[in-house]
Amino acid sequence: MKAAITTPAWATLFKTMDYMPLLRHSFCATLAVSALFVGNVGGYTPPLSAAPVQQGRTLLYLEKQAHKSLYPPAGGFYPNGGILAQVTDRLTWQNTQTLRVEPWIATSWQINADNTVYTFTLRPDVTFSDGTPVDAAAVALNFDTYGKGNKALHLPPSEVINNYDHSEVLDPHTVRFYFSKPAPGFLQGTSVIGSGLVSPHLLHKPLEQWGDGRNIIGSGPFVVQDDVPGKSITLRARPDYTWGPPELAPQGPARLDAIRILVVPEDSIRIGAFLSGQADFIREVEAYDEGQITRSGNRLYAPSTRGVNDSVVFRPDNDKVADRRVRLALLRATDREEILRTLFSPHYPLARSILASDTQGFQDHSAELGYDPEQARHLLDEAGWLQHPDGWRYRNGQILSLGIHVSAPHPQSRSMLVLLAQQWRKVGVRLDILTGSPAMVVLDDLDPHTTPLYQAEVGRADPDVLKSAYYPTNRNVLLQKGGQSQHVAHFTDPECNRLLLAVASETDPKRRLELVADVQNAILTNAYSIPIFEEPQVFAGAAHVHDMHFEAVGRPVFYRTWLDQP
Amino acid sequence: MIRYLFTRFLHALFVLWGAFTLSFVLLQVMPGDAVLVKFQDPELGLSPQQIADMRATYGADESAITQYAHVLGRTLHGNLGYSIETGLPVGQMLHAAYPTTLRLAIVSFTGALAFAAICCALAILLSGNPVGRYLAAAIGAIPGITSGIPVFWLEIVAIQLVSFHWKLIPVVGLSGWSAVLLPGLALAIPISAPLAQVFMAAAHRVEALPFIDVLRARGVSPLRILYAHILPNALPPTLTVSGLVFGEILAGAVVTETVFGLDGLGQLAQQAVASQDVAVLQAIILISVSGFVSIGFASEIIQPLLDPRIGRSARQRKY
Repeated sequence: MKAAITTPAWATLFKTMDYMPLLRHSFCATLAVSALFVGNVGGYTPPLSAAPVQQGRTLLYLEKQAHKSLYPPAGGFYPNGGILAQVTDRLTWQNTQTLRVEPWIATSWQINADNTVYTFTLRPDVTFSDGTPVDAAAVALNFDTYGKGNKALHLPPSEVINNYDHSEVLDPHTVRFYFSKPAPGFLQGTSVIGSGLVSPHLLHKPLEQWGDGRNIIGSGPFVVQDDVPGKSITLRARPDYTWGPPELAPQGPARLDAIRILVVPEDSIRIGAFLSGQADFIREVEAYDEGQITRSGNRLYAPSTRGVNDSVVFRPDNDKVADRRVRLALLRATDREEILRTLFSPHYPLARSILASDTQGFQDHSAELGYDPEQARHLLDEAGWLQHPDGWRYRNGQILSLGIHVSAPHPQSRSMLVLLAQQWRKVGVRLDILTGSPAMVVLDDLDPHTTPLYQAEVGRADPDVLKSAYYPTNRNVLLQKGGQSQHVAHFTDPECNRLLLAVASETDPKRRLELVADVQNAILTNAYSIPIFEEPQVFAGAAHVHDMHFEAVGRPVFYRTWLDQP
Repeated sequence: MIRYLFTRFLHALFVLWGAFTLSFVLLQVMPGDAVLVKFQDPELGLSPQQIADMRATYGADESAITQYAHVLGRTLHGNLGYSIETGLPVGQMLHAAYPTTLRLAIVSFTGALAFAAICCALAILLSGNPVGRYLAAAIGAIPGITSGIPVFWLEIVAIQLVSFHWKLIPVVGLSGWSAVLLPGLALAIPISAPLAQVFMAAAHRVEALPFIDVLRARGVSPLRILYAHILPNALPPTLTVSGLVFGEILAGAVVTETVFGLDGLGQLAQQAVASQDVAVLQAIILISVSGFVSIGFASEIIQPLLDPRIGRSARQRKY
């Protein structure tokens, strides 16, 4: 009882610490400048090292959060992805430079003209770590589960697989998938962590048992040796592994002996321990800590997560933001460059559309995203929100104040919102920054009247990511009618939804990219979203960590990594 | 005596049931639940129908009374249930977590007691000396100061200095007793405050008693008077407040284990609160309450052994 009661006090103390970045503005700016000279901006892949490779060491990796259920479709959660990327293989590999889909467990594939039938030929020599072969039956069972979910076992379907119908085993090394409607995103979908292949035995276990890492049997270069829930997980290399992705050749066993992942939630402890040489690699380095890392001779890695940018999106079901002029005014009132300059480093590129610039189909919309407080004031006046002597804007006695929850997974979310509130205040709009227990946040975020605004971001290298973010039955960030929320009265945008569905099912690649452009246009013309920055995942590695790799959405791959420690 | 013990035992059971029920009610009042936190996560992209199915399979939408009856019945059978968040049996999670917290409690309690005894001894020894009296007064003020230090701040400073700056002991990757050494000692400082205050007050009371003057007159050395006569006589009231200290250790464990990344009950409690994992939280509440009850119980039994007067007066009251 005592323990439960003391938590709020503890939470308040840590919340206070969240403000620290704000107090360190000028300091940050200095660090940001110094990072300019050492930082690696954008989709960075470190060069292959020339020094002789040393094998058989253990890498100590400090994570910010503990993993949750390791069911691969839940691999979007960073800590989950960091484990699944080492333990599972996928049918295909997306080249991180070209974004082309390359063979991996599947050596070749055929796709029919309307993208409803996919046939994959598998490598014959691959086994799961429990000895079961990775054959057509196993792969079919994996995608039957990811494509449709398994209600009896509580396993939900994967958000990257659309229109899945059924599978067919043609022979032990050939598997075919059928779709009810065209599914052009499926090939790329087979390359993401969410489509990691696991042993058929595991697919007969309920979701409850996927929380224990030791149960996760994949065919990847590492196996889970030990899992202390909430605390640590130990991965050990598989000596008989010979089927790595071609981009990371030679394809033999991993060079590390083991990876020890420890959960260290406190930023200062994680970074302090790393700087004092107690760990080799850490995830989640905030922009204001980057300078410390590079000054001490260590390396920063900031791979892009691609996909939908870190944005503030509107829920037009709420009357206050139902008028396009209000939304556009708030877009104009947002000085995105000031946000980046003040809080972030060059590793955080300014968003130029709702999609990251290294995602397929990106279109540059920077011209429409400019800062213009004069126009913002004008638009708000036009929409009937007039400024009162107290500085805020009112319409029919109602104040223009908008609520938004701090989004814990996103970098410096609270600081960013505080700065946004200062900017909007200049045009008379109040931003209420809300906090609450996780369940309350979930409930509030489903109610457009409590949260007319929401911080959204989805990482994926395929344009299908637009549907994942915006479509009503997917994440539904705009809260349209027809999604999970019971509080939405009327808002729906049929034109936008039609375009999203078309992106997910258009078979002609050229036409598909045109549709992606149309979606970006539609969302920005309606001013549904204020894209802020392209979100990277920032890691730090000690100077003795070599050949680090990151897959297409910025999850670390330790397959080729080695340490040159005496 | 047997009858007395039996009554106390029934009393303890009632307290346990009360805490269990109260925590259930409080968790029901909070908005949302663990199933919601887990499955309404937009990253999973579930449809409303799928979420409704999940809720049905977990029985999350049944009436509070049905859920309470189920949870109480299950617990009475010794089954603590499953964590919704991790999917592990709660018993297994507790089994993995309790050794760290137990070690942390032992290190911090021993450290706190030692710190209190040192403060007390110095204060008594120095107070006899005309110059040392000021120093003694300063030492007497230490518990007041340490009780006001926020434990998370002290721990972060300890880590920065001891681990990062002087590099005496790492903070990550340790196991067993070495993992709780630094956190235990850091936690000991604030929790030693009530112990030291009671200890010093009791020692000063004992020092003023006539038998000490007799000992002094017979030429017994001040040091011997201190450790053979004053400290042992000042110990019983200090142990009485250990129940209170146990509460502080549990509360401190939540913060300490989070700061140091330890995998104990405090960390488990914090995660369970965050995800509203009722089964885990109730099990931790049961353990904490059992700890409180048994420490109170134990100190009642030990008191008469340490101080014969207490047992006598109790008997006198009774008959």
